[in-house]
Amino acid sequence: MSNPLRIAAVFAAICFSGSAAAIDYQVHGYAAQGFVLSRHNDFFGDSTDGSFDYYEAGINAAVQVQPNLTFAAQAAIRDAGISDDGSLRLDYAVADYRLVSEASIQAGLRAGKVKNALGFYNETRDVVFTRPSILLPSVYSDNQNQRSLIFTSPGAQVYGGAVIGVHELSFTGTLNAERDVRKSDERLLVSLTVPFDLRIGDSWNVQIMDSIDGGKWQLAYSRFSGQFRLSTAPEIDLVGRFDVDLNVFSARYNAERFTVTAEYVLVDNDNRLTFMGAPFLHQRVAADSGYLQAEYRVRSDWTLMARMDGFYSDRHDRSGHDFAAANPGVDRRSRFSHDFTVGVNWRPGEHWGFWAEHHWINGTATLQPLENPPPVRDQRWSMLMLMAGYKF
Amino acid sequence: MKFTVHTTSMLQRLRYLAVALLLLVSSAASPQNNSFAVDVIVSPSLAEITLDRSLLRAVFTMRVREWPDGTPVRVFVLPDDNPLSDRFYRERLGMYSYVLRRAWDRMVFTGTGFAPTVVRSESEMIELVRSTPGAIGFVRKRETSSRARPMPPRWQIVLLAAPAHE
Repeated sequence: MSNPLRIAAVFAAICFSGSAAAIDYQVHGYAAQGFVLSRHNDFFGDSTDGSFDYYEAGINAAVQVQPNLTFAAQAAIRDAGISDDGSLRLDYAVADYRLVSEASIQAGLRAGKVKNALGFYNETRDVVFTRPSILLPSVYSDNQNQRSLIFTSPGAQVYGGAVIGVHELSFTGTLNAERDVRKSDERLLVSLTVPFDLRIGDSWNVQIMDSIDGGKWQLAYSRFSGQFRLSTAPEIDLVGRFDVDLNVFSARYNAERFTVTAEYVLVDNDNRLTFMGAPFLHQRVAADSGYLQAEYRVRSDWTLMARMDGFYSDRHDRSGHDFAAANPGVDRRSRFSHDFTVGVNWRPGEHWGFWAEHHWINGTATLQPLENPPPVRDQRWSMLMLMAGYKF
Repeated sequence: MKFTVHTTSMLQRLRYLAVALLLLVSSAASPQNNSFAVDVIVSPSLAEITLDRSLLRAVFTMRVREWPDGTPVRVFVLPDDNPLSDRFYRERLGMYSYVLRRAWDRMVFTGTGFAPTVVRSESEMIELVRSTPGAIGFVRKRETSSRARPMPPRWQIVLLAAPAHE
């Protein structure tokens, strides 16, 4: 802990030696190593034999130049089997200018690489200390395709908050710049035998939250809209437009000992492919996912968790029968997933955290096909996940 | 005969249950008995400020960054597992410490704000609040000692009027 602090102090001293006394800065970080042991199917690595191919770490610094102007950046790595590759990335780098800063009303602007507010957990999804469990519920697509869409992106953000009686209302609106999808993510999203490039455009999101009575109730609505753009070499001329709209409804009740959380996401997909300039494919499909989760704080340092989680690739075909009938050779069980999870979390002090959880899963929709080549997937499978983390 | 035995055992169980409940209640009540009040402390530069619950919440959830006079807000807290923290958040802010910690972690790991500075002891708290412009923190109220001797000269205790419904 002292080393990064020292480095940051030196860094701050070099950058701001002229007015060091007026500068406030903070340095924080986190690191966590996971372990997955699963039966029948692989999740985050070769987990049927036990996988350590799951870790996350990050370090960030925030500098307050004036009370109304701050800069912050975080570098992070994450590895999660085939769905993340452990390469170093810039998680966020943001300038934050506060326009209004009063007890009952705040407003400001952010620009740079910003985190997208979506549901309760998207912004800090890779920091296990901020998650209710090791694995996020399937609303957040931890092992799936839309993670790269909603994760983090260059853009401009407007935010605000107002206190009206017992209600603390907050708003975040983000306009994302067009961006490229990393090669390692592209292969998870599109399976094509020819070289292709994938970009994300027309991307924006908003979140409105009402925090009632000091956060006892928290209600939120988030919307994310974006478009995946597929392009291939001119001689192939296959062009794709995949519109994705997410509507997330979130509710949480925080009592002294227990917290109950429920979230539901409706995902509208509108997929269009053109080949040599002519329409080749057009499909609309609505996926949805939701969960109900209870956390119980046995003591201040021990928390128990239980969750029921469901995901459906097509909400009008929850069993997958229609899809399998229309696509011979496709397993209908890959179109849904029901996950019942119980977990425990121990926090011995402010820096350390230890997690253990068990998942009983029916359906294979949350698996990565690249990690589980068809047709060997089992419909009913389970996994034990462990994680140990440190933050400062 | 059988019926009687059943009733007796039921009554006995009820008695055990009552005793157990009493024990629970008394153990839950014991922290209340040796009750301690919490005081908000601010640095001398903020002597004129009026702190109501909504301003306190805004400050301790790190939503405001400067005081009305333009001084940057600097928040000091004790560790989350210190009983004084729990007491302060609950009574003065009407919030649970885990809800606050969640809000602070969210700010720290999204680059949208600062976390409060955690100090190890009340004496460190007093020292830092005294010496830092724009600082705010909290300590255990020491009624006898504060009556016995004059207030320390360089820091100010703001006594909060308890809200009417409490």
